[in-house]
Amino acid sequence: MLLDFHKLGAWKWLLSGICALMTLFLLMPILFIIALSFGDSRWLIFPPPGWTLKWYEELFADPRWIGAALTSAKIATIVMVLSVALGLLVSLALVRGKFRGRAVLRAFFLTPMVLPVIIVAVALYAAFLRLGLNGTLVGFVIAHLIVALPFSVITISGALETFDPAIEDAAILCGASPWEARFRVTLPAISHGLFSAAIFSFLISWDEVVLAIFMASPGLQTLPVKVWTTLRQDLTPVIAAASTLLVVLTVLLMIVAALIRKGKSR
Amino acid sequence: MSITLAPKRRGSGLGLAMPAILLLLAFFVVPVALLLLRSVTEPEPGLHNYRTLIGSATYAKVFFNTFFVAGVVTLVTVLVAFPVAWALAIMPQRWASVIFAVILLSMWTNLLARTYAWMVLLQQTGLINRSLMALGIIDQPLQLTNNLIGVTIGMVYIMLPFMILPLLGVIRKIDPAILQAAALCGASKGQALFRVLLPLAAPGIASGGLMVFVMSLGYFVTPALLGGTANMMLAEMIAQQVQSLVNWGMGGAAAFILLIVTLGLYAVQLRFFEPKPEVR
Amino acid sequence: MTTPYLHINGIRKVFGEVVATDHVELSIAEGEFMTFLGPSGSGKSTTLYILAGFQDPSAGDITIRGKSILSTPSHKRNIGMVFQRYTLFPHLSVGENVAFPLRVRRMGKSEVDARVKRALKLVRLEGFEDRMPAKMSGGQQQRVALARALVYDPPVLLMDEPLSALDKKLREEIQFEIRRIHQETGVTILYVTHDQEEALRLSDRIAIFNKGKIEQVGTGPELYANPATHFVADFIGDSAFLAGELASVSGERAALRFADGTTVAAVPLHGSGRAGQAAELMLRPERIELATEPGPEGASLPVTVEDMTFLGNNTTLAARTPWGAALSVRLNFGHPLAANVARGDRLHIRWSPEAAHAFVRG
Ligand SMILES: Nc1ncnc2c1ncn2[C@@H]1O[C@H](COP(=O)(O)OP(=O)(O)O)[C@@H](O)[C@H]1O
Ligand SMILES: [Mg+2]
Repeated sequence: MLLDFHKLGAWKWLLSGICALMTLFLLMPILFIIALSFGDSRWLIFPPPGWTLKWYEELFADPRWIGAALTSAKIATIVMVLSVALGLLVSLALVRGKFRGRAVLRAFFLTPMVLPVIIVAVALYAAFLRLGLNGTLVGFVIAHLIVALPFSVITISGALETFDPAIEDAAILCGASPWEARFRVTLPAISHGLFSAAIFSFLISWDEVVLAIFMASPGLQTLPVKVWTTLRQDLTPVIAAASTLLVVLTVLLMIVAALIRKGKSR
Repeated sequence: MSITLAPKRRGSGLGLAMPAILLLLAFFVVPVALLLLRSVTEPEPGLHNYRTLIGSATYAKVFFNTFFVAGVVTLVTVLVAFPVAWALAIMPQRWASVIFAVILLSMWTNLLARTYAWMVLLQQTGLINRSLMALGIIDQPLQLTNNLIGVTIGMVYIMLPFMILPLLGVIRKIDPAILQAAALCGASKGQALFRVLLPLAAPGIASGGLMVFVMSLGYFVTPALLGGTANMMLAEMIAQQVQSLVNWGMGGAAAFILLIVTLGLYAVQLRFFEPKPEVR
Repeated sequence: MTTPYLHINGIRKVFGEVVATDHVELSIAEGEFMTFLGPSGSGKSTTLYILAGFQDPSAGDITIRGKSILSTPSHKRNIGMVFQRYTLFPHLSVGENVAFPLRVRRMGKSEVDARVKRALKLVRLEGFEDRMPAKMSGGQQQRVALARALVYDPPVLLMDEPLSALDKKLREEIQFEIRRIHQETGVTILYVTHDQEEALRLSDRIAIFNKGKIEQVGTGPELYANPATHFVADFIGDSAFLAGELASVSGERAALRFADGTTVAAVPLHGSGRAGQAAELMLRPERIELATEPGPEGASLPVTVEDMTFLGNNTTLAARTPWGAALSVRLNFGHPLAANVARGDRLHIRWSPEAAHAFVRG
């Protein structure tokens, strides 16, 4: 009976209440910053005495914010492409390969996800100091690729696992060469996995703070680094404006991801 | 049943994974190994970095902070996440999907944006203090940031989705007929909860709890922003050793301890609970 | 002797320790419907996969019109195949699925359209071009797969238990379609199944597989009337086996003796044996007659009725021979004895000499 919502009696209201409170708890901070970004109180008084767009104006007038956003977009795009490409190759090896130690290899590819980012960040920082990669685009891309790759591998190998290799055999018997079969049948059939991996990888790079703080130089910084340094000085509403734009972007990407998932089940 | 015929495969071997393997070796395995090495070689060879770490009261406090916060965060998330996951698993689809969307939104919203929101909400003149004062519950604003209270609130906020989602998966797999059977056997709701539902969900709770605990141990951003320098946690200390004090030996030693604890707990998780990392 | 159209020449395939097929030898005529029938794990699929080029044989050769095809890669063999699992391309519509083999052959658009239309008509799915595979039933998906396998007019079509995931009624419906399509197109079909009824319904000839070997090849009636081995006799049709020994052997026939000394007159003998060797008498239940009197020429045995079960069109009797072997006998509805028989009755089973067979054991 405990797993039948309508037979729960009074417990139903208790559970619903906890759910409602938790939803509010999760949602409130996000709505709160969105509201603050339009409020005209520099001291972040809520509810704000009036409404304004000046924080957005300030944001867009500052070339450092724009520059940081462009840098972030550039890095995230490169990371996305590389992460999907490498993730696909790794998944093919893990799912279709016939060599020993595939389970170990899989665990190996997932470790960067399990290990605290701070360790990876400090270790890479030291390595990049020697290689002269700190504060370079390449450095950022490598660092973000390391942490994005596990998500690509999970997503793409998940899609590949549900794809019956007999379908590829069918394509080959239809006259497609093995590579043609892969490109015309396997890849399109797991495209939902590839797209999800792309979105995850982009978001991971785009939002990543810890590695970025270590990789950044005054000349090259990503949006999260800019938010971080600003935050450490004061809680200006400009950050609320920037955060709101980030939330909007997240929502858009989530909608795209949901549409992909829906398109798959169609 | 005969074994499925696995036709000869054309070149999908280890070679395909090579580029990624090399990337990880060069920019993950080797750098981490070198960092750990520095903990026993700098400033001079020996284990003195570890002795300092374990011996001094300053660092003892860092370790205490870290494990204490991680423990409290895990406890609170489990207590909240279980009823929520339970409700989500059985409530009408329409409501469940709304709540689910909120969970995903909060999970994927920029970490700094979320932490910023809590910094503003919890500050002395923030909404929470002002509301509490307006309601007459307190006369003086509470100190909610720059201490472990702020860190705990911020971390619970961040970790909740990571607890709810795996638990939801576990509870969804439980056959409702088992609980119907329990009811027919004469179990009251409370008995059914404690003797049937909770034990069945226990592996999920343990697995999710372990995951949250491990993630909390190594968390950097939220403790750094909401905790302040007086209430340092392990990740922040590693960063400080390396960045401000340029003491790579100590940084490496702290990183090594964090690594061992993390991998150890992760191994426990893999060994005893479903090895199923889930991404959404 | 003329070269056969398709010749499977001593194919052997070993997976590590497991011998999947062992010297499979078979000639197939052009346009023939040949079925591989046998229990699961008997090497049917392996043989088919070697034909398709997904496996290389450990030994042996496969020729079409005398030319070996083993060095031709799968995608150049121009063979059609329908798989046991659903293998439609999930991201392509039905029309695009069927068009796929033509597209990889770089065929012109108008030709593609015409052929797709024709192929879908052949499997009676006209108008389904734009449907996605996920929106179709299992039976429909397999029919699309059939259209896709036939659209490029392959001379040989392989089918590996294509209907095993479908329910019985649908299966019979599509079996009927497959027969029609075979007649309409004249394609040579190699069909794998473990369902004897399906094999009998569809095939020109059936090859019975057992433990990686072909036990016997023949038309359905041949296999039924003249099983070469105990296995074939057991696999095709119902049969009862009574264990005894050879009493006397003369040429292709032998008389048998049972534990209590009862003997029966000579029946066709399969396998070579001498008098005294262990052997079995095989009887088809529907060809046994029940009577109150023993039959002439020693083609009968006494039995005691132990139980009766009414099954609609027949009554099945559980009976026991004097030396204690169990046996079941059918009495068709309306048989004069059916209404009168009772537990404990002593009767006689009788058969015509050609309806019984003796198999040497060992
Ligand atoms: N790829 C393979 N690896 C190892 N053994 C296999 C493989 N494919 C088939 N076999 C074995 O070969 C034997 C014949 O299998 P198969 O041809 O699939 O039988 P059938 O199709 O008649 O059921 C079985 O014992 C099976 O386990
Ligand atoms: Mg098979």
